[in-house]
Amino acid sequence: MTTIPDRLKVSPFFSFYLVQAIQIGVGILGFQRVLTKAVGNDAWMSIILGGIGVHVVIWMMYQILNKQNGDITDVHRVLFGKWIGSGFSILLIIYFCLLTITILRSYIEVVQVWMFPGIRISLFSIVILIIVFYIVNGGLRTVTGMAVLGVVLPAYLLFSLFYPLKYAFFENLLPIFDHSMIDILKSTKDVSLSVLGFETLLFYYPFFKEPKKSQKWAHLGSASTIFIYLLVMVVSIAYFSEEQLIRNIWATLTMLKIVQLPFVERIEYVAISSWLFVILPNLCLAMWSASRGAKRVFNKKQRPLLVVLILLVCAGSCVLKTREQVEMISDFTAQIGFYLIFGYIPFLFLFSTIFHRMKGRKSA
Amino acid sequence: MKKGSNKKSEKKPEITTIREAFDSLRKSTDFVFYKKEHGKVPYVISYFSSIVDVEVIHQYILPNLLQISDLEELKSKIPIEEIIDVTSPKDLTEKLPSGYVYIYFTDSDHHGVLIPAMKNENRSISPPEVEFSVVGPKESFVESLDTNIYLIRKRLPIDSLRVEKITIGDLSNTGVAYLYIEDIADEENVNTLKQRLNEIDFDAIGDTAYISQIIADNQRSPFPQILDTERPDRVATALAEGKLAILVDRSPHALIGPTTFNESISTFEDYLLNWYAASFIRIVRIASIAFSILITPIYVATLTYHYELIPKDLLATLITSRRAIPLPPILEALFLELTIELLREAGARLPTKVGQTIGIVGGIVIGTASVEAGLTSNVLLIMVALAALASFTTPTYQFGNTIRLIRFPFLFFAHAWGLIGIVLCFSFLAGHLLQLTSLGRPYLEPFYPTRVRDLKDTIIRLPFSKLSRRPVHNHPEQKKRFSPKDEKVHRDIDE
Repeated sequence: MTTIPDRLKVSPFFSFYLVQAIQIGVGILGFQRVLTKAVGNDAWMSIILGGIGVHVVIWMMYQILNKQNGDITDVHRVLFGKWIGSGFSILLIIYFCLLTITILRSYIEVVQVWMFPGIRISLFSIVILIIVFYIVNGGLRTVTGMAVLGVVLPAYLLFSLFYPLKYAFFENLLPIFDHSMIDILKSTKDVSLSVLGFETLLFYYPFFKEPKKSQKWAHLGSASTIFIYLLVMVVSIAYFSEEQLIRNIWATLTMLKIVQLPFVERIEYVAISSWLFVILPNLCLAMWSASRGAKRVFNKKQRPLLVVLILLVCAGSCVLKTREQVEMISDFTAQIGFYLIFGYIPFLFLFSTIFHRMKGRKSA
Repeated sequence: MKKGSNKKSEKKPEITTIREAFDSLRKSTDFVFYKKEHGKVPYVISYFSSIVDVEVIHQYILPNLLQISDLEELKSKIPIEEIIDVTSPKDLTEKLPSGYVYIYFTDSDHHGVLIPAMKNENRSISPPEVEFSVVGPKESFVESLDTNIYLIRKRLPIDSLRVEKITIGDLSNTGVAYLYIEDIADEENVNTLKQRLNEIDFDAIGDTAYISQIIADNQRSPFPQILDTERPDRVATALAEGKLAILVDRSPHALIGPTTFNESISTFEDYLLNWYAASFIRIVRIASIAFSILITPIYVATLTYHYELIPKDLLATLITSRRAIPLPPILEALFLELTIELLREAGARLPTKVGQTIGIVGGIVIGTASVEAGLTSNVLLIMVALAALASFTTPTYQFGNTIRLIRFPFLFFAHAWGLIGIVLCFSFLAGHLLQLTSLGRPYLEPFYPTRVRDLKDTIIRLPFSKLSRRPVHNHPEQKKRFSPKDEKVHRDIDE
C-alpha cells in the first residue's frame, strides 16, 4: 500500500463527476435499439432495474475497498497472493485498454457516419490519443478536471430533449408490463453495458481525501446517469414508434435532428462535436486506470507504461477497419464488462468479506 | 549560483589592493578624481560624475570637509547615513559605480570612506495608462522602487506589511522587493516565492516581466502565470486578500501572485462599480474573449465542411459574399487575421501620430480594397474586425497577447476537422489550463478545483457585504475579512 501525498488527492465530492463522466459515453447516443428489441415499450423499467443493480455493485466495491484502504491491486495481492493477484490485475488492465479502444472506435464510427465519411481513422485516433496522453500526464487531478468539464459543458444538450416533446405521443408507453418479468430482467444486461466504466473507481479510490465520504457522491453520480438514461428513453419511446426505434442505430442523434434554432440548423453536428468532451474523460479515466494498475503491478514508472499502453490502444484502433469489427470488439468488451461487474465483483465482495472475517477471528 | 566576481577573475588578474581598484576605475571618462589641499588635511575625493548628485556633494560633503582632520570626525559631521569604511578593494568596485563618493586623506594610504550620493531622477507619479479606469485613484507605479513601496505603504499603513528585498542579476544588481502581510499571507506561498526568487540566475534583469517569466511555474505555457499590474491600489487590495506582490527597481509594474485565470480577466474597476454593472461588464468581457478566439475558426469550419449548419436565409447572404472568392476559407481567414496582426504590430512600433495614420490606411483602405478585389468576403471582414475588437477587451496586456495567439491553432484544427477540430483544440487548451499552476496554486480555481466560496467573485461579483471571506485560493492565515453581521431582521411593510 503506497500512501498518496495530499497534493495529488481530490475532494470526495468529485466522485460524482468521475462516476457520471465515465458512465455516459457513446452508449447513450443509441442504446434504445437493443433495449426496444428485447422489451419494447417496457424498456424504461429495465433501466430502473439495471440502475439498481449498478448501485449495488458500487456499494460492493466500496465495501471491498474500505476494508483494504487501498486500490484493487492491493486487494488482489492480499486476497490471492502476489502471483495470482497480479494476474487478475493484469486482466483488469487489459480490460481497460479494450474499453478505451471500444469507446474511441465507437466515437469515430459515429463521426464517420454522421459527419466525415472520409476521415482518416489513424490520424484522428493519434490526435485524440495525444490529447489523452497530455491530460493523463497531468495526473488524476487533471483527469478529474476533464471529467468535470465533460459533465458540465455538454449539459446544454439536455435542453434539446424538449423539442421532441412537441411531437411526443406518451400513449406509446402503454400498456406497461407488456413483457414478462424475465425478459425485463434479461434486458437489464443491455442497460448495464451502456453504463460500463465506473469500475475505474477500483483504481482511483485511494486518491480521495476521505474515501469513505465519496461513496454518497458516487451513488448520486450514478443515480443522475440513470436518470438521464431514463429521460432519454422515455422521450424516445414517446417520440418514435417501436418499429422506428428498432431500426434506428442512433436514436438520440436522430431526435436531435428536429431541433430548430434561428441561427443554426442540424444541431446534431454540434452535438457530435461537443460529444468529444464526453468521450475524452472516458478515455482519460480508462487509460489512467490502466497505466496506474500497470504501475502498481510491475512497480515501474507510470509515464513510460502509459506511453506503451497508448501505443497499444492506437494500434488496436487503427487495426479495426469495418463496422462489423467495431461491433464485434464492442460486444466482446461489453460481455467482459458485464461479467466483471455482475460476476467478478460480487465474488470478490463475498471472498473479501469471508477473508476478513476469518482474519479477524484468527487475530482475536 | 555563481557570483560575478568569480567569472571576472577568470579573465582579468584579481584586484588585490585598493590602489589597483582605484586605478581600474579611473579608466572610465566619467570618473572624477581630484585632490584638495585647502582644508586642515589634504584629501582626495572621487566619484562617477554621471551617477552622483552634485547637489549633495556641494551642500553636505564639501563644506564639512574643510574643518575635518580624521575619518571618525568626518563620519560624525556629515549628515548622511550609511557611511561605509573602506576595508577591501571590493567595496570600491561595487559601491562607486552605484553612486557613492569616495574620500580619503592623503596621509592615510587610500583608507577612506564611501558616502552615498546617488542621483535620484524619476518621473513623477502619473495616471495609469494601461489599466486606466474612469473612477478610482489616478496613480500608477514609477521607475523607482522606493516610490513604489511608498505608494503601497501609504495604502496599507500597518506594521505587519513586510517588505523584503534581495538583489538579483550579476550585472544589473537589480533590487527586487517582495511584499506580503505577515498575518494574512500563507507562509508556504511566501517560502515558494522566496525560493524561486533566490534561485534566479540571470545576469541583467530588465523589468518585472523578466522576473515573472523566470519564476513562472511552467515556462512552456503561453499564459502569464503571475499577474502584471501598474496600479498600486490593485496591489494593495491583493495584498489584503493574502496574495504576494513583487516590485522590481527601475520598473513601473508590480507582480501579483498566486493568480488565477479569473483574475487575469478582471480589472480593478470591477470593484469600483456597482456590483450589477461590474458583473455585467465581466460577462461581456468573458463572452468577447470566447468570441474573439472562436468566431473565425467557426467560420472556417462551417464554410469548409458544414454548410448544413447554416439556416437557409443566412446561407444566401454568405454565398453571395463568397461567390467570387478564389481562396478556400482557411486562406481567406489567415489573410485577414495576419493583416490585423500586421496593423497592430505596425501601429505599436511607429510613433503615435504616424500610428494613427496606419490605422486608418490599414483598416479602411486595405479592408475595403481586399473585399472589392474579391480576396475576402465582407462577412469574414466583419467577423475578423469584431474578433480583434473583442480581443482588446482583455484587461491585462500580457493575457490579451495570449488570446490573440491561441486562435491560430484553433484555425488550423478547424480547417482539418471542422467543428470536431475546434473541440479537439479546446480540449487541449482545457487540459493545459487544468494543469497550470501559479506559485504552486491551481490556475483555474475556483472553477476547478471547485470552491464554491470563491465563486462569489468570478463571473459575477457579489456585493462587498457577501465577500466576507478571503479567497481560499490564497490559503490566507486569517480566513475572514470581517465578521458579517447577523442577518438583519426583515421589517414588514410600514413597521
